[in-house]
Amino acid sequence: MTPPLIEFVDVTIARHRERLLSRVSLSVSERTIHVIVGPNGAGKTTLLTAALGLVSFEGRILAHWRRDGRIGYVPQAFAVDASLPVTVEDFLALTRQRRPVCFGVSASTRARISALLGDVGLRGLERRPLSVLSGGELRRVLLANALDPLPELLILDEPASGLDESGVGQLEALLRVTRESGSTVLMVSHDLEQVRRIADRVTVLDRVVVSDGPAAETLALDAVTALLPSGGRR
Amino acid sequence: MTPLYQWAASLAERGILPSDFQYPFLIRGFLCVLVLAPILGGLSHLVVTRRMAFFSAALGQAALTGVAIGLLFGEPLNAPYGGMFGFCLLTTLAMVYVKRHATLPPDTLIGVFHALTLGLGLCLLVALTRQFNVHQVESVLFGSLLTVTDADLLLLVGVGLLVAILLVREYNKLLLDSLSPPLASVSGADSAFLEYFFAVILTLSIVVSLKVIGALLVEALVVVPAAAARNVAGSARSYLAWSIVVAFLAGAGGLGVSTKLLVPTGGAVVLAVSGIFFITLAAGVYARRRRTI
Repeated sequence: MTPPLIEFVDVTIARHRERLLSRVSLSVSERTIHVIVGPNGAGKTTLLTAALGLVSFEGRILAHWRRDGRIGYVPQAFAVDASLPVTVEDFLALTRQRRPVCFGVSASTRARISALLGDVGLRGLERRPLSVLSGGELRRVLLANALDPLPELLILDEPASGLDESGVGQLEALLRVTRESGSTVLMVSHDLEQVRRIADRVTVLDRVVVSDGPAAETLALDAVTALLPSGGRR
Repeated sequence: MTPLYQWAASLAERGILPSDFQYPFLIRGFLCVLVLAPILGGLSHLVVTRRMAFFSAALGQAALTGVAIGLLFGEPLNAPYGGMFGFCLLTTLAMVYVKRHATLPPDTLIGVFHALTLGLGLCLLVALTRQFNVHQVESVLFGSLLTVTDADLLLLVGVGLLVAILLVREYNKLLLDSLSPPLASVSGADSAFLEYFFAVILTLSIVVSLKVIGALLVEALVVVPAAAARNVAGSARSYLAWSIVVAFLAGAGGLGVSTKLLVPTGGAVVLAVSGIFFITLAAGVYARRRRTI
Protein backbone atom coordinates (compact mmCIF):
# COMPACT_ATOMS: atom_id res chain seq x y z
CA MET A 1 0.00 0.00 0.00
CA THR A 2 1.27 3.49 -0.89
CA PRO A 3 1.90 5.95 1.95
CA PRO A 4 -0.93 8.31 2.94
CA LEU A 5 -1.16 11.78 1.44
CA ILE A 6 -4.07 12.95 3.62
CA GLU A 7 -5.13 11.58 6.99
CA PHE A 8 -8.36 12.47 8.77
CA VAL A 9 -8.02 11.77 12.50
CA ASP A 10 -11.16 11.89 14.68
CA VAL A 11 -12.68 14.67 12.62
CA THR A 12 -15.92 15.97 14.13
CA ILE A 13 -17.99 18.77 12.63
CA ALA A 14 -21.11 20.23 14.25
CA ARG A 15 -23.46 22.95 13.09
CA HIS A 16 -26.38 24.35 15.08
CA ARG A 17 -25.65 21.75 17.79
CA GLU A 18 -26.06 18.90 15.30
CA ARG A 19 -23.14 16.65 14.48
CA LEU A 20 -22.62 16.42 10.72
CA LEU A 21 -19.56 14.21 11.15
CA SER A 22 -18.55 12.28 14.22
CA ARG A 23 -14.98 11.14 14.89
CA VAL A 24 -14.23 10.35 11.26
CA SER A 25 -10.83 8.76 10.72
CA LEU A 26 -9.57 7.66 7.32
CA SER A 27 -6.45 7.71 5.25
CA VAL A 28 -6.16 8.69 1.58
CA SER A 29 -3.17 6.97 -0.03
CA GLU A 30 -0.89 8.64 -2.52
CA ARG A 31 -1.56 8.09 -6.24
CA THR A 32 -4.96 6.47 -5.70
CA ILE A 33 -8.54 7.29 -6.60
CA HIS A 34 -10.32 7.31 -3.25
CA VAL A 35 -14.11 7.64 -3.42
CA ILE A 36 -16.47 8.55 -0.61
CA VAL A 37 -20.01 7.23 -0.93
CA GLY A 38 -23.03 7.47 1.32
CA PRO A 39 -26.67 8.54 1.46
CA ASN A 40 -27.81 12.18 1.29
CA GLY A 41 -26.87 14.05 4.44
CA ALA A 42 -24.06 11.63 5.26
CA GLY A 43 -21.52 14.48 5.51
CA LYS A 44 -19.56 13.68 2.32
CA THR A 45 -19.36 17.27 1.05
CA THR A 46 -18.72 18.51 4.58
CA LEU A 47 -15.71 16.19 4.83
CA LEU A 48 -14.31 17.54 1.54
CA THR A 49 -14.77 21.15 2.63
CA ALA A 50 -12.97 20.35 5.88
CA ALA A 51 -10.06 18.96 3.86
CA LEU A 52 -10.00 22.23 1.92
CA GLY A 53 -9.95 24.25 5.14
CA LEU A 54 -13.29 25.89 4.39
CA VAL A 55 -15.07 24.82 7.60
CA SER A 56 -13.86 24.56 11.16
CA PHE A 57 -13.65 21.13 12.75
CA GLU A 58 -12.43 19.21 15.78
CA GLY A 59 -9.75 16.59 15.32
CA ARG A 60 -6.85 16.69 12.87
CA ILE A 61 -6.36 16.59 9.12
CA LEU A 62 -2.75 15.82 8.23
CA ALA A 63 -1.31 16.43 4.79
CA HIS A 64 1.97 14.73 3.83
CA TRP A 65 2.84 16.74 0.74
CA ARG A 66 5.60 15.36 -1.47
CA ARG A 67 5.49 18.15 -4.06
CA ASP A 68 4.00 21.67 -4.01
CA GLY A 69 0.83 20.75 -2.11
CA ARG A 70 -1.36 22.20 -4.84
CA ILE A 71 -5.04 21.25 -4.60
CA GLY A 72 -7.46 21.15 -7.53
CA TYR A 73 -11.14 21.36 -6.63
CA VAL A 74 -14.44 20.84 -8.44
CA PRO A 75 -17.29 21.96 -6.16
CA GLN A 76 -20.72 20.33 -6.10
CA ALA A 77 -22.49 23.62 -6.81
CA PHE A 78 -21.38 26.55 -8.95
CA ALA A 79 -24.19 29.03 -9.49
CA VAL A 80 -23.60 31.55 -12.27
CA ASP A 81 -25.62 34.76 -12.40
CA ALA A 82 -27.60 34.65 -15.67
CA SER A 83 -26.57 38.18 -16.72
CA LEU A 84 -22.88 37.89 -15.83
CA PRO A 85 -20.73 38.76 -18.86
CA VAL A 86 -17.77 36.54 -17.99
CA THR A 87 -16.65 34.09 -20.66
CA VAL A 88 -15.11 30.64 -20.22
CA GLU A 89 -11.77 32.15 -21.24
CA ASP A 90 -12.10 34.99 -18.70
CA PHE A 91 -12.89 32.50 -15.95
CA LEU A 92 -10.00 30.17 -16.72
CA ALA A 93 -7.60 33.11 -17.09
CA LEU A 94 -8.34 34.36 -13.56
CA THR A 95 -5.79 32.00 -11.99
CA ARG A 96 -3.49 31.73 -15.01
CA GLN A 97 -2.30 35.28 -15.59
CA ARG A 98 -1.25 38.18 -13.40
CA ARG A 99 -2.75 40.80 -15.69
CA PRO A 100 -6.32 41.68 -14.61
CA VAL A 101 -8.71 39.75 -16.83
CA CYS A 102 -10.73 42.94 -17.41
CA PHE A 103 -7.70 44.24 -19.39
CA GLY A 104 -7.86 41.20 -21.67
CA VAL A 105 -6.41 37.69 -21.84
CA SER A 106 -2.78 37.36 -22.96
CA ALA A 107 -1.88 35.29 -26.04
CA SER A 108 0.05 32.70 -24.02
CA THR A 109 -2.82 32.27 -21.54
CA ARG A 110 -5.23 32.00 -24.45
CA ALA A 111 -3.20 29.15 -25.98
CA ARG A 112 -3.00 27.36 -22.62
CA ILE A 113 -6.78 27.68 -22.11
CA SER A 114 -7.48 26.40 -25.60
CA ALA A 115 -5.40 23.26 -24.92
CA LEU A 116 -7.10 22.78 -21.56
CA LEU A 117 -10.56 23.00 -23.08
CA GLY A 118 -9.47 20.50 -25.72
CA ASP A 119 -8.59 18.05 -22.94
CA VAL A 120 -12.15 18.15 -21.59
CA GLY A 121 -13.85 18.14 -24.98
CA LEU A 122 -14.86 21.79 -25.03
CA ARG A 123 -12.55 23.25 -27.69
CA GLY A 124 -14.11 26.30 -29.32
CA LEU A 125 -16.12 27.39 -26.30
CA GLU A 126 -13.57 29.97 -25.15
CA ARG A 127 -15.72 33.02 -25.91
CA ARG A 128 -18.98 31.59 -24.63
CA PRO A 129 -20.37 33.26 -21.47
CA LEU A 130 -20.33 30.99 -18.41
CA SER A 131 -24.01 31.78 -17.86
CA VAL A 132 -25.17 30.03 -21.04
CA LEU A 133 -23.26 26.77 -20.49
CA SER A 134 -25.22 23.62 -19.71
CA GLY A 135 -24.67 21.94 -16.35
CA GLY A 136 -22.43 19.31 -17.97
CA GLU A 137 -20.35 21.90 -19.85
CA LEU A 138 -19.89 23.93 -16.70
CA ARG A 139 -18.63 20.88 -14.80
CA ARG A 140 -16.13 20.20 -17.58
CA VAL A 141 -14.89 23.79 -17.35
CA LEU A 142 -14.48 23.38 -13.60
CA LEU A 143 -12.62 20.12 -14.18
CA ALA A 144 -10.30 21.81 -16.68
CA ASN A 145 -9.67 24.53 -14.10
CA ALA A 146 -8.86 21.97 -11.40
CA LEU A 147 -6.48 19.93 -13.58
CA ASP A 148 -4.10 22.73 -14.53
CA PRO A 149 -1.44 22.93 -13.27
CA LEU A 150 -1.43 19.26 -12.30
CA PRO A 151 -2.50 19.18 -8.63
CA GLU A 152 -0.96 16.98 -5.97
CA LEU A 153 -4.47 16.39 -4.61
CA LEU A 154 -7.59 16.58 -6.75
CA ILE A 155 -10.83 16.94 -4.78
CA LEU A 156 -14.04 16.38 -6.72
CA ASP A 157 -17.58 16.66 -5.39
CA GLU A 158 -19.87 14.60 -7.64
CA PRO A 159 -17.94 15.48 -10.80
CA ALA A 160 -20.11 13.32 -13.07
CA SER A 161 -23.29 15.15 -12.12
CA GLY A 162 -24.90 16.54 -15.31
CA LEU A 163 -22.46 14.79 -17.67
CA ASP A 164 -23.70 12.69 -20.58
CA GLU A 165 -22.34 9.18 -21.27
CA SER A 166 -19.38 10.36 -23.33
CA GLY A 167 -18.63 13.02 -20.75
CA VAL A 168 -18.57 10.41 -17.99
CA GLY A 169 -16.20 8.23 -20.05
CA GLN A 170 -13.94 11.21 -20.68
CA LEU A 171 -13.99 12.13 -16.99
CA GLU A 172 -13.00 8.63 -15.93
CA ALA A 173 -10.18 8.51 -18.49
CA LEU A 174 -8.92 11.89 -17.25
CA LEU A 175 -8.99 10.73 -13.64
CA ARG A 176 -6.95 7.63 -14.52
CA VAL A 177 -4.40 9.76 -16.41
CA THR A 178 -4.26 12.16 -13.46
CA ARG A 179 -3.54 9.30 -11.08
CA GLU A 180 -0.87 7.87 -13.42
CA SER A 181 0.72 11.34 -13.55
CA GLY A 182 1.27 11.20 -9.79
CA SER A 183 -1.80 12.95 -8.39
CA THR A 184 -4.13 11.67 -5.70
CA VAL A 185 -7.88 11.87 -6.30
CA LEU A 186 -10.39 12.23 -3.46
CA MET A 187 -13.95 12.35 -4.71
CA VAL A 188 -17.58 11.99 -3.72
CA SER A 189 -19.86 10.02 -6.00
CA HIS A 190 -23.39 8.67 -5.93
CA ASP A 191 -22.89 6.43 -8.96
CA LEU A 192 -21.77 3.06 -7.62
CA GLU A 193 -21.22 1.67 -11.12
CA GLN A 194 -18.75 4.45 -11.76
CA VAL A 195 -17.15 3.86 -8.36
CA ARG A 196 -16.65 0.18 -9.23
CA ARG A 197 -14.97 1.18 -12.51
CA ILE A 198 -12.48 3.71 -11.23
CA ALA A 199 -12.04 3.58 -7.45
CA ASP A 200 -8.97 2.07 -5.81
CA ARG A 201 -10.41 2.55 -2.38
CA VAL A 202 -13.89 3.38 -1.06
CA THR A 203 -15.08 4.88 2.21
CA VAL A 204 -18.75 4.51 3.07
CA LEU A 205 -19.83 7.44 5.18
CA ASP A 206 -22.99 8.07 7.14
CA ARG A 207 -21.81 10.79 9.54
CA VAL A 208 -19.42 8.10 10.81
CA VAL A 209 -17.23 5.78 8.79
CA VAL A 210 -19.41 2.73 8.07
CA SER A 211 -16.78 0.92 6.06
CA ASP A 212 -13.43 1.64 4.45
CA GLY A 213 -11.31 -0.54 2.19
CA PRO A 214 -10.56 -1.66 -1.38
CA ALA A 215 -13.43 -0.81 -3.74
CA ALA A 216 -14.62 -4.30 -4.72
CA GLU A 217 -14.63 -5.64 -1.16
CA THR A 218 -16.25 -2.61 0.42
CA LEU A 219 -19.05 -2.29 -2.12
CA ALA A 220 -19.91 -6.00 -1.71
CA LEU A 221 -20.61 -5.67 2.02
CA ASP A 222 -24.22 -6.20 3.11
CA ALA A 223 -24.08 -3.13 5.33
CA VAL A 224 -23.21 -1.00 2.31
CA THR A 225 -25.95 -2.52 0.15
CA ALA A 226 -28.43 -1.81 2.95
CA LEU A 227 -27.26 1.79 3.22
CA LEU A 228 -27.39 2.42 -0.54
CA PRO A 229 -30.34 0.22 -1.63
CA SER A 230 -30.76 1.91 -5.01
CA GLY A 231 -27.31 0.84 -6.01
CA GLY A 232 -26.36 4.46 -5.89
CA ARG A 233 -27.75 5.27 -9.34
CA ARG A 234 -29.62 8.52 -9.70
CA MET B 1 -4.62 74.94 -11.17
CA THR B 2 -5.15 78.54 -12.33
CA PRO B 3 -3.07 78.19 -15.56
CA LEU B 4 -5.19 75.17 -16.51
CA TYR B 5 -8.40 77.15 -15.99
CA GLN B 6 -7.00 80.07 -17.99
CA TRP B 7 -5.96 77.77 -20.82
CA ALA B 8 -9.42 76.12 -20.91
CA ALA B 9 -11.07 79.57 -20.80
CA SER B 10 -8.98 80.71 -23.77
CA LEU B 11 -10.01 77.60 -25.71
CA ALA B 12 -13.64 78.36 -24.83
CA GLU B 13 -13.26 81.94 -26.03
CA ARG B 14 -11.86 80.71 -29.35
CA GLY B 15 -14.81 78.32 -29.72
CA ILE B 16 -12.73 75.15 -29.44
CA LEU B 17 -14.45 74.21 -26.18
CA PRO B 18 -18.09 74.98 -25.25
CA SER B 19 -18.50 78.48 -23.83
CA ASP B 20 -19.33 77.12 -20.36
CA PHE B 21 -15.68 76.11 -19.97
CA GLN B 22 -14.70 79.69 -19.25
CA TYR B 23 -15.88 79.08 -15.67
CA PRO B 24 -13.30 77.38 -13.41
CA PHE B 25 -15.98 75.57 -11.37
CA LEU B 26 -17.25 73.87 -14.50
CA ILE B 27 -13.77 72.79 -15.57
CA ARG B 28 -13.25 71.43 -12.07
CA GLY B 29 -16.56 69.58 -12.36
CA PHE B 30 -15.59 68.11 -15.71
CA LEU B 31 -12.23 66.99 -14.33
CA CYS B 32 -14.07 65.41 -11.39
CA VAL B 33 -16.23 63.48 -13.85
CA LEU B 34 -13.11 62.38 -15.75
CA VAL B 35 -11.69 60.94 -12.54
CA LEU B 36 -14.94 59.65 -11.06
CA ALA B 37 -15.99 57.68 -14.15
CA PRO B 38 -13.15 55.14 -14.04
CA ILE B 39 -13.25 54.93 -10.23
CA LEU B 40 -16.98 54.46 -9.69
CA GLY B 41 -17.67 52.87 -13.08
CA GLY B 42 -14.79 50.44 -12.55
CA LEU B 43 -15.85 49.66 -9.01
CA SER B 44 -19.49 49.30 -10.01
CA HIS B 45 -18.92 46.15 -12.04
CA LEU B 46 -17.38 44.47 -9.00
CA VAL B 47 -20.06 45.91 -6.67
CA VAL B 48 -22.80 44.32 -8.77
CA THR B 49 -20.92 41.04 -9.23
CA ARG B 50 -20.28 40.84 -5.47
CA ARG B 51 -23.94 41.77 -4.77
CA MET B 52 -23.03 44.83 -2.73
CA ALA B 53 -25.62 47.31 -4.09
CA PHE B 54 -27.49 47.55 -0.79
CA PHE B 55 -24.18 47.77 1.05
CA SER B 56 -23.31 50.84 -1.06
CA ALA B 57 -26.66 52.46 -0.25
CA ALA B 58 -26.01 51.96 3.47
CA LEU B 59 -22.57 53.53 3.05
CA GLY B 60 -24.11 56.61 1.41
CA GLN B 61 -26.40 57.03 4.43
CA ALA B 62 -23.48 56.48 6.78
CA ALA B 63 -21.61 59.29 5.00
CA LEU B 64 -24.44 61.66 5.80
CA THR B 65 -24.14 60.76 9.48
CA GLY B 66 -20.37 61.09 9.18
CA VAL B 67 -20.79 64.66 7.88
CA ALA B 68 -22.94 65.52 10.87
CA ILE B 69 -20.38 64.01 13.27
CA GLY B 70 -17.53 65.87 11.54
CA LEU B 71 -19.36 69.18 11.82
CA LEU B 72 -20.20 68.58 15.46
CA PHE B 73 -16.50 68.01 16.11
CA GLY B 74 -15.63 71.29 14.46
CA GLU B 75 -14.64 70.24 10.94
CA PRO B 76 -15.17 72.88 8.22
CA LEU B 77 -18.50 72.72 6.41
CA ASN B 78 -16.83 72.38 2.98
CA ALA B 79 -14.49 69.51 3.93
CA PRO B 80 -15.82 67.26 6.70
CA TYR B 81 -13.71 64.34 5.41
CA GLY B 82 -12.52 63.17 8.84
CA GLY B 83 -16.03 62.58 10.14
CA MET B 84 -17.20 61.11 6.85
CA PHE B 85 -14.32 58.72 6.36
CA GLY B 86 -14.06 57.81 10.04
CA PHE B 87 -17.72 56.97 10.46
CA CYS B 88 -18.03 55.26 7.05
CA LEU B 89 -14.96 53.12 7.76
CA LEU B 90 -16.33 52.15 11.15
CA THR B 91 -19.71 51.26 9.63
CA THR B 92 -18.05 49.30 6.81
CA LEU B 93 -15.87 47.23 9.13
CA ALA B 94 -18.83 46.58 11.44
CA MET B 95 -21.07 45.52 8.52
CA VAL B 96 -18.47 43.15 7.07
CA TYR B 97 -17.61 41.69 10.48
CA VAL B 98 -21.25 41.06 11.42
CA LYS B 99 -22.01 39.69 7.94
CA ARG B 100 -19.15 37.20 8.23
CA HIS B 101 -20.03 36.06 11.73
CA ALA B 102 -23.85 36.12 11.84
CA THR B 103 -26.14 33.55 10.28
CA LEU B 104 -28.77 36.09 9.16
CA PRO B 105 -28.95 36.91 5.41
CA PRO B 106 -26.60 39.80 4.43
CA ASP B 107 -29.39 42.08 3.18
CA THR B 108 -31.18 41.80 6.53
CA LEU B 109 -28.03 42.72 8.44
CA ILE B 110 -27.22 45.61 6.14
CA GLY B 111 -30.84 46.80 6.54
CA VAL B 112 -30.23 47.04 10.28
CA PHE B 113 -27.11 49.18 9.75
CA HIS B 114 -28.92 51.24 7.11
CA ALA B 115 -31.68 52.12 9.57
CA LEU B 116 -29.26 52.73 12.44
CA THR B 117 -27.02 55.15 10.55
CA LEU B 118 -29.97 57.01 9.02
CA GLY B 119 -31.66 57.42 12.41
CA LEU B 120 -28.43 58.65 13.98
CA GLY B 121 -27.78 60.99 11.05
CA LEU B 122 -31.23 62.58 11.26
CA CYS B 123 -30.90 63.15 15.02
CA LEU B 124 -27.47 64.72 14.58
CA LEU B 125 -28.61 66.91 11.68
CA VAL B 126 -31.44 68.30 13.78
CA ALA B 127 -28.93 69.01 16.54
CA LEU B 128 -26.74 70.75 13.97
CA THR B 129 -29.46 73.23 12.99
CA ARG B 130 -28.53 75.09 16.18
CA GLN B 131 -25.08 75.77 14.71
CA PHE B 132 -25.65 75.84 10.93
CA ASN B 133 -28.39 76.48 8.46
CA VAL B 134 -29.28 72.91 7.54
CA HIS B 135 -29.52 73.95 3.87
CA GLN B 136 -25.74 74.25 3.94
CA VAL B 137 -25.58 70.48 4.28
CA GLU B 138 -27.67 70.04 1.13
CA SER B 139 -24.55 69.98 -1.03
CA VAL B 140 -23.46 66.82 0.77
CA LEU B 141 -26.90 65.28 0.41
CA PHE B 142 -27.38 65.99 -3.29
CA GLY B 143 -23.97 67.02 -4.60
CA SER B 144 -22.95 70.47 -5.79
CA LEU B 145 -20.18 71.54 -8.14
CA LEU B 146 -20.09 75.00 -6.59
CA THR B 147 -18.66 73.59 -3.37
CA VAL B 148 -15.96 71.46 -5.04
CA THR B 149 -12.52 73.00 -4.47
CA ASP B 150 -9.12 72.36 -6.04
CA ALA B 151 -8.17 70.46 -2.88
CA ASP B 152 -11.21 68.18 -3.35
CA LEU B 153 -10.18 67.54 -6.94
CA LEU B 154 -6.60 66.71 -5.95
CA LEU B 155 -7.89 64.39 -3.22
CA LEU B 156 -10.12 62.71 -5.79
CA VAL B 157 -7.17 62.21 -8.16
CA GLY B 158 -4.96 60.84 -5.36
CA VAL B 159 -7.59 58.41 -4.11
CA GLY B 160 -8.45 57.45 -7.69
CA LEU B 161 -4.83 56.48 -8.39
CA LEU B 162 -4.57 54.54 -5.13
CA VAL B 163 -7.82 52.67 -5.78
CA ALA B 164 -6.78 51.86 -9.36
CA ILE B 165 -3.39 50.48 -8.26
CA LEU B 166 -4.92 48.37 -5.49
CA LEU B 167 -7.70 47.05 -7.72
CA VAL B 168 -5.31 46.08 -10.51
CA ARG B 169 -3.28 44.10 -7.95
CA GLU B 170 -6.23 42.15 -6.59
CA TYR B 171 -8.70 42.18 -9.48
CA ASN B 172 -8.48 38.53 -10.55
CA LYS B 173 -8.78 37.27 -6.99
CA LEU B 174 -11.72 39.59 -6.32
CA LEU B 175 -13.59 38.40 -9.39
CA LEU B 176 -12.94 34.72 -8.66
CA ASP B 177 -14.01 35.25 -5.05
CA SER B 178 -17.22 36.86 -6.34
CA LEU B 179 -17.92 33.83 -8.54
CA SER B 180 -16.97 31.13 -6.03
CA PRO B 181 -15.35 31.82 -2.64
CA PRO B 182 -14.32 28.14 -2.25
CA LEU B 183 -12.49 28.15 -5.61
CA ALA B 184 -10.79 31.44 -4.73
CA SER B 185 -9.76 30.03 -1.38
CA VAL B 186 -8.33 26.85 -2.96
CA SER B 187 -6.35 28.99 -5.42
CA GLY B 188 -4.67 30.77 -2.49
CA ALA B 189 -6.86 33.85 -2.04
CA ASP B 190 -7.85 34.97 1.44
CA SER B 191 -11.61 35.43 1.22
CA ALA B 192 -11.88 37.42 4.47
CA PHE B 193 -9.09 39.77 3.43
CA LEU B 194 -10.71 40.33 0.01
CA GLU B 195 -14.07 41.14 1.56
CA TYR B 196 -12.62 43.74 3.96
CA PHE B 197 -10.24 45.05 1.28
CA PHE B 198 -12.98 45.69 -1.27
CA ALA B 199 -15.33 47.21 1.32
CA VAL B 200 -12.64 49.66 2.45
CA ILE B 201 -11.79 50.63 -1.13
CA LEU B 202 -15.46 51.19 -1.86
CA THR B 203 -15.79 53.33 1.27
CA LEU B 204 -12.81 55.46 0.28
CA SER B 205 -14.16 55.98 -3.24
CA ILE B 206 -17.66 56.86 -2.04
CA VAL B 207 -16.39 59.37 0.53
CA VAL B 208 -14.30 61.31 -1.99
CA SER B 209 -17.17 61.33 -4.52
CA LEU B 210 -19.79 62.74 -2.19
CA LYS B 211 -19.26 66.44 -2.86
CA VAL B 212 -19.91 65.89 -6.56
CA ILE B 213 -22.62 63.24 -6.47
CA GLY B 214 -24.14 63.54 -2.99
CA ALA B 215 -24.68 61.08 -0.15
CA LEU B 216 -28.21 60.12 -1.15
CA LEU B 217 -27.33 59.51 -4.80
CA VAL B 218 -23.82 58.06 -4.83
CA GLU B 219 -25.28 54.55 -4.69
CA ALA B 220 -26.60 55.07 -8.21
CA LEU B 221 -23.10 55.56 -9.65
CA VAL B 222 -21.72 52.44 -8.01
CA VAL B 223 -24.58 50.24 -9.19
CA VAL B 224 -26.28 51.53 -12.34
CA PRO B 225 -23.22 51.75 -14.68
CA ALA B 226 -22.57 48.04 -14.18
CA ALA B 227 -26.26 47.21 -14.47
CA ALA B 228 -26.34 49.09 -17.80
CA ALA B 229 -23.09 47.44 -18.92
CA ARG B 230 -24.51 43.96 -18.27
CA ASN B 231 -27.23 44.65 -20.83
CA VAL B 232 -24.69 44.96 -23.62
CA ALA B 233 -21.34 43.46 -22.52
CA GLY B 234 -20.14 40.04 -23.63
CA SER B 235 -16.91 39.57 -21.66
CA ALA B 236 -15.11 40.79 -18.54
CA ARG B 237 -13.18 43.29 -20.66
CA SER B 238 -16.24 44.84 -22.31
CA TYR B 239 -18.08 44.74 -18.95
CA LEU B 240 -15.45 47.04 -17.43
CA ALA B 241 -15.24 49.24 -20.52
CA TRP B 242 -19.00 49.72 -20.73
CA SER B 243 -19.26 50.44 -16.99
CA ILE B 244 -16.70 53.24 -17.30
CA VAL B 245 -18.21 54.64 -20.50
CA VAL B 246 -21.69 54.69 -18.95
CA ALA B 247 -20.38 56.40 -15.79
CA PHE B 248 -18.55 59.00 -17.89
CA LEU B 249 -21.53 59.73 -20.17
CA ALA B 250 -23.84 60.03 -17.18
CA GLY B 251 -21.36 62.27 -15.35
CA ALA B 252 -20.72 64.56 -18.31
CA GLY B 253 -24.40 64.62 -19.34
CA GLY B 254 -25.58 65.27 -15.79
CA LEU B 255 -23.00 68.02 -15.40
CA GLY B 256 -24.23 69.73 -18.57
CA VAL B 257 -27.88 69.46 -17.56
CA SER B 258 -27.27 70.70 -14.01
CA THR B 259 -25.38 73.72 -15.35
CA LYS B 260 -28.05 74.62 -17.90
CA LEU B 261 -31.12 73.94 -15.76
CA LEU B 262 -29.63 74.86 -12.36
CA VAL B 263 -30.59 71.55 -10.73
CA PRO B 264 -28.41 69.57 -8.29
CA THR B 265 -25.53 67.80 -10.05
CA GLY B 266 -26.12 64.51 -8.26
CA GLY B 267 -29.77 64.37 -9.28
CA ALA B 268 -28.95 65.20 -12.90
CA VAL B 269 -26.21 62.55 -13.02
CA VAL B 270 -28.54 59.91 -11.57
CA LEU B 271 -31.25 60.78 -14.09
CA ALA B 272 -28.71 60.52 -16.89
CA VAL B 273 -27.35 57.16 -15.74
CA SER B 274 -30.86 55.80 -15.29
CA GLY B 275 -31.74 56.96 -18.81
CA ILE B 276 -28.67 55.19 -20.18
CA PHE B 277 -29.63 52.04 -18.28
CA PHE B 278 -33.01 51.88 -20.03
CA ILE B 279 -31.42 52.57 -23.43
CA THR B 280 -28.97 49.69 -22.95
CA LEU B 281 -31.78 47.48 -21.65
CA ALA B 282 -33.71 48.08 -24.88
CA ALA B 283 -30.54 47.61 -26.96
CA GLY B 284 -29.79 44.32 -25.19
CA VAL B 285 -33.30 42.98 -25.75
CA TYR B 286 -33.16 44.02 -29.42
CA ALA B 287 -29.74 42.37 -29.94
CA ARG B 288 -30.90 39.11 -28.33
CA ARG B 289 -34.02 39.03 -30.49
CA ARG B 290 -31.93 39.54 -33.62
CA ARG B 291 -29.64 36.67 -32.62
CA THR B 292 -32.57 34.30 -32.12
CA ILE B 293 -34.22 35.12 -35.47
